[in-house]
Amino acid sequence: MNIIEIENLTHRFADGTIGIEGINLAIRQGSFVVVAGHNGSGKTTLLRHLNGLLLPSDGVVRLAGKRVEEDLLKARQFVGMMFQDADSQIVGETVYEDVAFGPENLCLERAAIKKRVNSALRVVGLQDLADQRPHLLSGGEKRRLAIAGVLAMEPGVIVFDEPFASLDYPGVKQVLQHIVDLHRSGHTIVVTTHDLEKIIAHADRLIIMQGGKIVRDGSPVEIVGHLEAFGVRKPCAYRLGLEAESWLN
Amino acid sequence: MAELTSFGYFAGDSLLHNLDPRFKLLYIIALSLVCLNLNFLSLLIMSVLLLGLIVYARLPLRSGFKELRYFFVLLVFVFMARVLSTGGESLIDFKFFSISRQGLTVGFLVCWRLAFIVALGFTLISTTRPSEIKAAVQWFLKPVPFIPEQKVAIMMGLILRFVPVIFDQAAETGEAQKARCVQNRKNPVYRLIKLGFPLMRRTFERADDLVAAMEARGFTENRTDPDLVAHQRDWVALTVVGSLCALVIML
Repeated sequence: MNIIEIENLTHRFADGTIGIEGINLAIRQGSFVVVAGHNGSGKTTLLRHLNGLLLPSDGVVRLAGKRVEEDLLKARQFVGMMFQDADSQIVGETVYEDVAFGPENLCLERAAIKKRVNSALRVVGLQDLADQRPHLLSGGEKRRLAIAGVLAMEPGVIVFDEPFASLDYPGVKQVLQHIVDLHRSGHTIVVTTHDLEKIIAHADRLIIMQGGKIVRDGSPVEIVGHLEAFGVRKPCAYRLGLEAESWLN
Repeated sequence: MAELTSFGYFAGDSLLHNLDPRFKLLYIIALSLVCLNLNFLSLLIMSVLLLGLIVYARLPLRSGFKELRYFFVLLVFVFMARVLSTGGESLIDFKFFSISRQGLTVGFLVCWRLAFIVALGFTLISTTRPSEIKAAVQWFLKPVPFIPEQKVAIMMGLILRFVPVIFDQAAETGEAQKARCVQNRKNPVYRLIKLGFPLMRRTFERADDLVAAMEARGFTENRTDPDLVAHQRDWVALTVVGSLCALVIML
């Protein structure tokens, strides 16, 4: 079943610039999709249409068969989004309050909010830091907090925009482990990156964007040979003629 | 790394930590108003009691003082202004300046009162989660017409959350400019402009990102209300504070 369906999607910004153009895309439930492309290729603009942060100038985005603009709140609950800069995503004064922000917006009862927050904090291993102020967390912890904030909304699809930007090696491993675990627990995962090295081993589909259009779409093994023509570095393993190896090994 | 500040919530399980934040705000307002008219003896009693409460709640008194060092500089200025502007029995005369006994007394009393109010604020902030303060303000604003209390509460929360982030950004921008020898430019206005504009631009960009992040998590004004329950201890504490205020006013 296709959980996300995009037909002929075009987005023009207020100044007339075309962000993305003529995008047709269907994403199966439970798949792990990586969208690659150089800076300015339209990856983030595409992602922001998935939960109605941007609405199409032309075309349609459907989530589980329903148009996004029909119920924006539902779309935002259904598609959880992790932004590139975790610092700008964290809105609570403490770790607990930040995770509670989403469920509070869904007008849940206090008991249900507490249950969701504690469960999300346990998943990302931040339960002992519930009273901590977010700006005192490390980069990796902030990213995990942002994941917990998304998990507390109980989404079906989780979208990660450059999840490894500015993270050290342990931070990358922690975040990657969470992404892989979320995929295993049945979430549909969409990750955008220009650095495929860290994630390619886990993807079952690779999409390359350039100039606001999808220029390649297929399994990573099929597509990887075309990467450098579109400004994305080919992962090291493929350069050496090997199979991609997970950063978790 | 963000600079650690002691002027914030400190987790604990004392009576002060467990009181209802609405009552705590009431105590602060009542005590602050009362202390403006107190004499030395009453102020001494109140200060000793407050100090006792701070020690009992195991609040970080030393780092609190350190954090307030700039406030003490302000107090010195207030003291000087009071001393020099109050007439009375002269103690020291020097050219245009005259220091009177009354000036010293009034200056000292005014500074003590201000320090007492700040210590009250320190006690409130250290024993109350920002979300609780926010919830209490939201509760008090609910009956006020034309004020969207949910919006005010969210704005308060965002200010508390983002002030440290803006400080971090200012420090980072400042360091980047020092690395390019900005200290060789002696004109403070030039340096302020060169620091201010990039900082403002970055802050507005962050605000844009924040709006997107809040929308992505379904932000709406119609949200779950905060959970506030008054216990018997809150009413007992209110009676004690009320009686204390009446007593010190009579002294």
